[in-house]
Amino acid sequence: MSFRSMVREMKGEVDAIARRRPLPSARGVRRVAAVATEEEAARQGCCWAELPPELLREVLARVEASEPRWPRRRDVVACAGVCRTWRGVVREIVRVPEVSGRLTFPISLKQPGPRDAPIKCFIRRHRATQTYFLYIGLTDALADTGKFLFAARKYHRPTCTEYLISLDKTDMSKGSQTCVGKLRSNFLRTKFTVYDAHPPHAGPVVSKRWPAGDYPVIQINYEVNVLGSRGPRRMNCIMESIPVSAIEQGGTAPTQTAFPFFNPKSSRMDSSITPLSSQVESKLVLKNKSPRWHEHLRCWCLNFHGRVTVASVKNFQLVASDESAPANEENDDTTLQFGKIGKDLFTLDYRYPVSAFQAFAICLSSFDTKLARE
Amino acid sequence: MTAPTMTSRSPTSTQRSSPRSLSTARSTSSTSTAAAAPAEDLKSFDAEFVKVDRATLFDLILAANYLNIKGLLDLTCQTVADMIKDNTPEEIRKIFNIKNDFTPEEEAEVRKENQWAFE
Repeated sequence: MSFRSMVREMKGEVDAIARRRPLPSARGVRRVAAVATEEEAARQGCCWAELPPELLREVLARVEASEPRWPRRRDVVACAGVCRTWRGVVREIVRVPEVSGRLTFPISLKQPGPRDAPIKCFIRRHRATQTYFLYIGLTDALADTGKFLFAARKYHRPTCTEYLISLDKTDMSKGSQTCVGKLRSNFLRTKFTVYDAHPPHAGPVVSKRWPAGDYPVIQINYEVNVLGSRGPRRMNCIMESIPVSAIEQGGTAPTQTAFPFFNPKSSRMDSSITPLSSQVESKLVLKNKSPRWHEHLRCWCLNFHGRVTVASVKNFQLVASDESAPANEENDDTTLQFGKIGKDLFTLDYRYPVSAFQAFAICLSSFDTKLARE
Repeated sequence: MTAPTMTSRSPTSTQRSSPRSLSTARSTSSTSTAAAAPAEDLKSFDAEFVKVDRATLFDLILAANYLNIKGLLDLTCQTVADMIKDNTPEEIRKIFNIKNDFTPEEEAEVRKENQWAFE
């Protein structure tokens, strides 16, 4: 006999007794019914913690598969916050953006993008507050309400400018727990360094020169071309933390797995980070594709595949190339693309081996470089 | 229909839900003598079938797994997945009566993740 039918029978008997003669204490009857109701309510939920792991995985895999895009993708993050068991299952199911093409947890913003189709984002600039916000598109439109990814604020220093990059759009202050890195320019604003607040490599700190939480990961250089300010500028990005082998057959790029400043005791990055010995390899260099002069339109043109609609000296496409060999700009796939689509509105598309954080930082330098002329 | 070898746990829940499960199996598997039901009818049948309380739904999942009825397992797991959607971690815990067993540090990590995700 099921528990529910027992409760029903018990209630029926109590009601029958109550109908035959009034009970000295009606509260006693109500207490029995209330206990039965509470037990029934408890039974409604009490067993779910005992769901076998394989069945829990079936359920959570369905949640993950049915919500590939934001904002509904937050359901996957919510599942990982229920309890330790659910968190373990969700983290097994969710794959890195390189494989799945999806951004899920905040750490996925520090992981290389997908190898095939790029992740399409956009940046909103707020001139009054000197802040920049990176969003991932919710639809296939160039820009929509978007899902917030990163925020950056520009700080003017005596000898440079700095952009602090944060996961919290309301807190972009130095020393904040949500600060994930920064971009710093030289005095002339022709060279920039991107610093990661999180060590990109496992093992001991690469160099004791760097303060804790400041790991240089990209060196960006801007140069005028032979035409001076009348021609498109040249830029290259030396990716300190990504070896050239990352873009070769079977190569991999460093992939962080946790933010230590979210949980200082968390150190789940060792197994998936490039070992120290590989840092002697050649570093990957990204170079911008040279636009072609369009005689009829009298302007420099690049094929942005419809993702950039306003001409601007800030627009660029970066391709990965071996530092020792010139980039084959005809055939190389674009790794990072940035360009204007409206007033204070820009698209940003990135692919493997670059992460959202690296892409955003590189694009911020495009706003700041003194070679920009609009 | 022959029953498979008993390998799963909780035969009690299977016994409670088996008649309901077997009737479903019969209605969906008997294609040899009757034409297949229209897809819309099956869809509404499925939707009505899982309009049960959470305890019964739990039993149905275990029964479907134990009896190896894939269609029923898919239906019940998807129903639970749909119950999870659009809820915060705390709301999910309340729905399924799950205890929060994170350490304070893990809880802080979860809170920051969800703050960003729900931004």
